[in-house]
Amino acid sequence: MMHSNRGAFNEERRAIPFLIPALVVLCGVSLYPLIQGITRMFYTYRALARETVFVGFQNVGLLFQDPLFLRAFSNSLVWTITSVGMQFVLSYWLATMLNSRFLRFRRMFRGIALVPWALPPVVVSLMWRYIFLNGGPLNTVLHSLGMAHPPNWLTDPQLALWTCIITNIWMGIPFVTVMLLAGLQTINKDIVDAAAIDGASYIQTQVNIIVPSIKKVVLIIFTLETIWTFNMFDIVFILTKGGPGNASLTLPLYAYENAFMYYQAGYGAAIGLLILLCLLVVIVFYIREVLR
Amino acid sequence: MRMSPVKQVLLHVFVVLFMLLLAFPMVFLLFNSFKTEQEIIASPMEVPREVTFVNYQEIFTESTFITNFKNSSIVALATVLLSIIVSTPAGYALSRFRFRGRTIFSVWLLATQSFPGIIMVLGLFTVLKTYHLLNTIPGLVIMYTSFSMPFGIWLLKGYFDKIPVALEEAARIDGCGRLRSLVKIVLPLSVPGLLAVGTFSLLLSWNEFFFALVIMRDNAHYTLPVFLARFMGSGGVVRWGPLSAAALLACIPVLILFMLGQKYLVSGLTGGAIK
Repeated sequence: MMHSNRGAFNEERRAIPFLIPALVVLCGVSLYPLIQGITRMFYTYRALARETVFVGFQNVGLLFQDPLFLRAFSNSLVWTITSVGMQFVLSYWLATMLNSRFLRFRRMFRGIALVPWALPPVVVSLMWRYIFLNGGPLNTVLHSLGMAHPPNWLTDPQLALWTCIITNIWMGIPFVTVMLLAGLQTINKDIVDAAAIDGASYIQTQVNIIVPSIKKVVLIIFTLETIWTFNMFDIVFILTKGGPGNASLTLPLYAYENAFMYYQAGYGAAIGLLILLCLLVVIVFYIREVLR
Repeated sequence: MRMSPVKQVLLHVFVVLFMLLLAFPMVFLLFNSFKTEQEIIASPMEVPREVTFVNYQEIFTESTFITNFKNSSIVALATVLLSIIVSTPAGYALSRFRFRGRTIFSVWLLATQSFPGIIMVLGLFTVLKTYHLLNTIPGLVIMYTSFSMPFGIWLLKGYFDKIPVALEEAARIDGCGRLRSLVKIVLPLSVPGLLAVGTFSLLLSWNEFFFALVIMRDNAHYTLPVFLARFMGSGGVVRWGPLSAAALLACIPVLILFMLGQKYLVSGLTGGAIK
């Protein structure tokens, strides 16, 4: 017993030098800014007096009386749930096809499918902004297909958020596809064949056999994509700036506007705290599922 | 198992459609960058009738594009190196040593992924201001390193786990210290892992927009994404010709390097998830 304890202590002492660089970065550029950022929500800037005053939880209280915040919150939920859901469905479809024994040029196709992953989100957004433009490529095609009045993708309040969602789905497909593909490649084909012989339908096979055997990958995909999508700022900022008239406003954008355009850093931080709480729920769920 | 010929044809049709959908939007950037502004508006879909280089000429001579390209390159290179330097020893410690707080350390690494940009940017703004690093390239590099490090540590730990401890023990009997055995024995065997971390931090630092937008304050310091967003302007008329040329040039380096490194990144990402 004595011996093993001393061994552990020795190991710990030896581990410290290896951990120091990472700990310095983690504390200085991650933990401290996090705390510093959160404490900002207890303060507000009074423009007239030109001073920052302590207001306690006032900013948090204001959140739920602010219709614009509630709007951004519900937009963010729609944005995240539909983006992540559609990314998964489309990528799953693509990944099963790319995994098929009967597909030719598999390597080439897998390479092409990765392209959107490498592109800067800003470039992706401005590219799609051009495609969705009134009189842009998409509407030209729709017009020539006989649609007399193709929709105003970016300026119709009913559509603007969905236009951003489409762009986000497009951008997320490569990552999800690659992860799923790696999972699918580990599955023993005999089990799938056996299920087919037993008369399982395509959907039954996918839901009951394939998805459970790649559960770990699926969990990682949902966790990371939910976090990334909820925090995504670039696409909405470039495509619509939250417009028209806040129709496509999401929480990260609203927080940014408060902090850097309206001089309400405290209110922005309060919005940030709410985002953080939502995402911690996701992480806790993930850890619980993994440990189970 | 067999697949009927009809199904096989359908499979290929759907895959090709997916590929078109995923790759085709890039074509507009290419076309537009060689068109005049009038032609872009008049015929948004067509191949350029007459190839013009005015757009490229404009962004090279009348904008800060070259400076911003240089900024992005420096930031990316420095972030890649620093991320590897910081992540390697920590990944090694996680893989080889038991220490108090090991679990908390791992959970914290995962939790950092969820920190909202707005809170981090407000906090980092204060930190960088204190050390006079606002609107500087080192400031941005330090930030990006902290963003890519959690992934780097997690990924390298996975790689180091696969390398037999026996290899190191043999060397340690010969009087080789821990640090030396990491550098001489473990690292040469984990080159794919290092390439994966490099590819990840390259993507992150080259493409990141939000933090650069807040931290960098003038044309001389912008990275490419901020330059592109500024060039597009807020509202008003967008000049798609030069914008497309700049956007395309901003994609090319990262696209090429990504295609070279993706193999390692993909196996690094999925290695941990599949075991």
